[in-house]
Amino acid sequence: MLKKLKYSFIAFAILLFFGSMKLFAAAAAVSDTLGTTAKPEHAGTLPEVYMVLPFVILLLMIATGPLFYKHFWEKHYPKVSIVLGVVVVVYYLAVLNDEHSLMHTFAEYISFIALLSSLFVASGGILIKVDKESTPMLNVLFLLFGAVIANVIGTTGASMLLIRPFIKMNRERLKPYHIIFFIFVISNVGGALTPIGDPPLFLGFLSGVPFFWVIDNVWFIWIPALLMILLVFYVFDKMNKTEYEKIEYSGKIQFKGFKNLGYLLIIIISVFIDPAVIPGVPSLAPLPFGIREIIMFAVVYFSYKGADTEILKANEFDFEPIKEVAYLFIGIFATMIPALQLIANEAHALGHKLNAGVFYWATGGLSAVLDNTPTYMNFLSAAIGKYSADIGTTLTVTNKMHVMQFVAADQIYLQAISVASVFFGAITYIGNGPNFMVKSISERAGIQMPSFFAYMVKYSIVILVPIYAVIWLLFFYGKG
Amino acid sequence: MNTIENALNKNLNGLCYGNRIILPFNCTFLKVIIEDDIITDFSPASKGIYVREKDDFTELYFLEINNVKETVSKYENIKLVAVEKGDNLFDLKNHKKIALYIEEKHNVKIEKTEDDILFIE
Repeated sequence: MLKKLKYSFIAFAILLFFGSMKLFAAAAAVSDTLGTTAKPEHAGTLPEVYMVLPFVILLLMIATGPLFYKHFWEKHYPKVSIVLGVVVVVYYLAVLNDEHSLMHTFAEYISFIALLSSLFVASGGILIKVDKESTPMLNVLFLLFGAVIANVIGTTGASMLLIRPFIKMNRERLKPYHIIFFIFVISNVGGALTPIGDPPLFLGFLSGVPFFWVIDNVWFIWIPALLMILLVFYVFDKMNKTEYEKIEYSGKIQFKGFKNLGYLLIIIISVFIDPAVIPGVPSLAPLPFGIREIIMFAVVYFSYKGADTEILKANEFDFEPIKEVAYLFIGIFATMIPALQLIANEAHALGHKLNAGVFYWATGGLSAVLDNTPTYMNFLSAAIGKYSADIGTTLTVTNKMHVMQFVAADQIYLQAISVASVFFGAITYIGNGPNFMVKSISERAGIQMPSFFAYMVKYSIVILVPIYAVIWLLFFYGKG
Repeated sequence: MNTIENALNKNLNGLCYGNRIILPFNCTFLKVIIEDDIITDFSPASKGIYVREKDDFTELYFLEINNVKETVSKYENIKLVAVEKGDNLFDLKNHKKIALYIEEKHNVKIEKTEDDILFIE
């Protein structure tokens, strides 16, 4: 079964790749792997509205599968994702004759999965042991540290690395809210400052948003949001009066797997190894990947092969979470192409009715219940569509120069989209990839986590939505 | 009747065939964790697990899993909270935490959970 799935995955990737090669051969002289330079636009070849259906079906199944038909979903999600993706690929090849969109998307997918898998595997070979008694203040400092680190090794890497020591520290007085605030802070909100922090921001970077734009324009929103969440956590933790047997703590912090820290550093450096960022870096066009992706995949291989098996055992390391991301996202990336193009077109028409507040709540609302990465791309596409209408020209999210032009001219919308897509990912377990990973690690440790709806009703809606409303009032209300 | 302590001291292995795990001891189960499923219902109506006790061993059937070896990967484990037969169930000090590793040739390695492994009862 697994072999069959692997073959279908590879076949799908090849279909995407070779289906797109024709156009790239023609454009190779001037294009790089991510389509940073001039390319023929596919103006006038918008997809039919019904082609959004595969995207909608896939996202709905991702949301409902683990909850309502878990065993079917666990067994068949790769097939579902690939079949829905193939429908869109065939439509673009056979009906629209638009190979460029496919190739561009495939290159983005390769970059995306290279970053996530390398962070996932490299951090899986690191073990941190904190033998200290937890206190509310120590927990707050730990979460704050995790929030900062999430911007360096991603919310995925930080979650993988820190959830175990956090559970260990709190093992005598652990309640589900500890894990939930960990998800709020480290798996989501914390990672809003850099493109490495959270997948939507990385996709924005790949699409042309400058690397340091995010920290320059989001830090002053990040700080109050984080402080408000940590304050609520402190109150919760202070009220936790669980009685427990006192244990002797050594106060030591142990760190194992230094070698993998080096691999994390390599990943971070390699993010910048892009012809568009550092002139002189060779482009491997027409291949849909570059030197950066080769380095990241090499890190996956070497960090796993060279990892200490005792650490992997202690971390209960398993490829399943990243395999799931790889399968689901190849479907998401393929099926979201029509949605991106149609939304940009609609925003072009409705531009004057959309302000920053609308972008904030709409991006946030959808990021909460769908995955935040495609949501970010859809609303970035919409914002560019609106900007196009304002300046009377046609810009697209699939052209890096257009994205750069938009970012330089109209920052408030991208601020709203960036903040909302990252922050609101914490509203549900499915809002962001690491949420489910943290939930799963906690359950494997024996912690009974709240159900999908209990998580929302008891925690995220009650705690986060008011905080996000304050952020809206302070930064986006009546703007744009 | 074999005890958990005896199995651990003698490094006895269990066996795994499909969805069935055979453990070389008798005990009372309080909790079984496989992947992210936390099983606490050991009644005959349980949808997650069926436990059958024999004189010298115990069989666990995971009802929602076809093949345990395919489900639990190399570095993962199945965690158990169990109490020796005859020991006071209500004394938390008698609760034993055990990890099962699925190995080649149907072997199941039985270990007391190490300090490194996360296991909150």
